Amino acid sequence: MIQVKELSKFYGDRQAVKNLSFTVNKGEVVGFLGPNGAGKSTTMKILTGYMAPTSGTVQISGFDIFEDPIEVKKRIGYLPETPPVYLDMTVQRYLEFCAKLKGVSSEAIDSSVDAALQKTALQQVRRRMIGNLSKGFRQRVGLAQALVSDPEILILDEPTVGLDPKQVAEMRTLIKELKGKHTIVLSTHILPEVQASCDKVIIINEGQIIAEDQIQGLSNRMAGGGHLKIRVLRKADQVAEELKRIEGVVDSSSTGNYLEVKTDGRDQVVEEISKKVVSLDAGLIELQTSTLSLEDIFIQLTDSTEKS
Amino acid sequence: MRNILTLAGKDFRSLATSPMFCLIAALCSVMWSFTFLRSLILFAENTQATFNPGPSPTLQMTVFLTHISQINLLFVFIVPALTMRLLAEEKKLRTYDLLLTAPITATEIALGKFLGAFGVILILVALSFLYPLATYPIAHFSFPPLLAAYLGVILVASTYVAVGVFASSLTQSVVLSVVMGLVFNLFLWFLSQGAESATGLYMTSVLEQISIGDHFMAFIRGSIRLKSIMFLLSCTGLFVFLTQRVVESSRWR
Ligand SMILES: Nc1ncnc2c1ncn2[C@@H]1O[C@H](COP(=O)(O)OP(=O)(O)OP(=O)(O)O)[C@@H](O)[C@H]1O
Ligand SMILES: [Mg+2]
Repeated sequence: MIQVKELSKFYGDRQAVKNLSFTVNKGEVVGFLGPNGAGKSTTMKILTGYMAPTSGTVQISGFDIFEDPIEVKKRIGYLPETPPVYLDMTVQRYLEFCAKLKGVSSEAIDSSVDAALQKTALQQVRRRMIGNLSKGFRQRVGLAQALVSDPEILILDEPTVGLDPKQVAEMRTLIKELKGKHTIVLSTHILPEVQASCDKVIIINEGQIIAEDQIQGLSNRMAGGGHLKIRVLRKADQVAEELKRIEGVVDSSSTGNYLEVKTDGRDQVVEEISKKVVSLDAGLIELQTSTLSLEDIFIQLTDSTEKS
Repeated sequence: MRNILTLAGKDFRSLATSPMFCLIAALCSVMWSFTFLRSLILFAENTQATFNPGPSPTLQMTVFLTHISQINLLFVFIVPALTMRLLAEEKKLRTYDLLLTAPITATEIALGKFLGAFGVILILVALSFLYPLATYPIAHFSFPPLLAAYLGVILVASTYVAVGVFASSLTQSVVLSVVMGLVFNLFLWFLSQGAESATGLYMTSVLEQISIGDHFMAFIRGSIRLKSIMFLLSCTGLFVFLTQRVVESSRWR
């Protein structure tokens, strides 16, 4: 469906994307994951034909982005980082305009607009000026815009940014509902988002792919190391020293009454640790296992790429 | 074609309903009412009071000429103010992303923007046409020269619109866009000033050919010359084409 080969993009002499190659199959939901400035938006802009890469090729549904930009654009719904909405239009009129622009036939415009409004739960505000809507609603209008022509491919750049937690949850449900009907590429820098909605994840950093994996693989990777946060009432320093002796504990340190412990990830180790803390009578009041954060995975991945 | 009309329709509607346009239209009609009536009264007094042995001045060459030159002068300033937001604001508000990722070509974007704004300017032209039209019942005059003059107004206005759209395509800043549009328009007019002061017969005739003023004056005098039509149309075409190049080039940065 989407085939990207050796894509590079220079802004002046700054390279934002370096030799990116990947494929996305029909019906897949792929998450682009990366810190700020990784080149996610740049890659997406190239996929949509918004701008040309410095080198490399992109094929979408068999059409080359250079040779048939119009054919490619017909098949893509794109939600940019900033929703591209006209503040002086009503939601309804804006979506009608988008549908026409995207080549929806005149007879089908009403039904497409209705369908898009319904999917994004915007029926109540259809007659309101977009300029008077809140950020979250504008984001939804932006998404409705991407959906209105019922494209094969959806490219969503940080679809949940700026939404409140309830709307984030709604957006995720929505993306799940869209799964199967569209091939979706979405970008984010929030890990749970990828876990919640994607089949496959592509992690990029500084313009390069540092990992490309099914979501399961990523979870395994994350389980590969355990991370404990412990809060005690007393003897934090002593506990930290004692814990280091337990087999399976990689590192432990204390700050104030808090302890940070890294383990090899086995459950038995956690059990041993809790036993130890209790036996030392340190006044255990909190013990939290935390999964690896995105940053940790980055550090791990960048470390391992450097080593190999 | 459908894409062009979709774009033009959207811009026409949002421009025509903007407070800016309503204000401009109101101010224009106030001004025209005042100046048109004044020059009409002056004309009436002159033709009655003074016994003129030579050919009497016609309505066309006095009242209408003043009126139309004034329209032209106003348009030099008004058109950039109306076109300033067309592309500059799309860029600033990122709605430009929508246009560039929609299945439409750069040519369609340029033409759509041009037609949308041109449509709005035609409303002003129609408004200004009401004044000479209203004089018809009280003072019979020959229509064809007036129509020729208005053809000139429309063609000149289309050039200003194309210039304005081009200026708007160059920047994200609305202020810069209006200033550039104004400067370009003034530049087109100063070419004709140059024609008068240029030394050398060759230079003068070249500058005369490419000055808007000269061609426009021919229309006002009531003569429709093919070369004037062609000149103004190609000016419009040139700036629409330049806009198309700028829009297209934004993909390559
Ligand atoms: N128009 C531009 N001109 C120059 N440099 C740019 C431009 N757009 C992006 N960049 C640079 O390219 C790099 C990648 O930017 P990009 O917007 O793709 O990152 P991103 O992964 O989307 O980040 P974020 O998570 O902040 O959205 C950044 O270092 C950025 O500074
Ligand atoms: Mg981004």
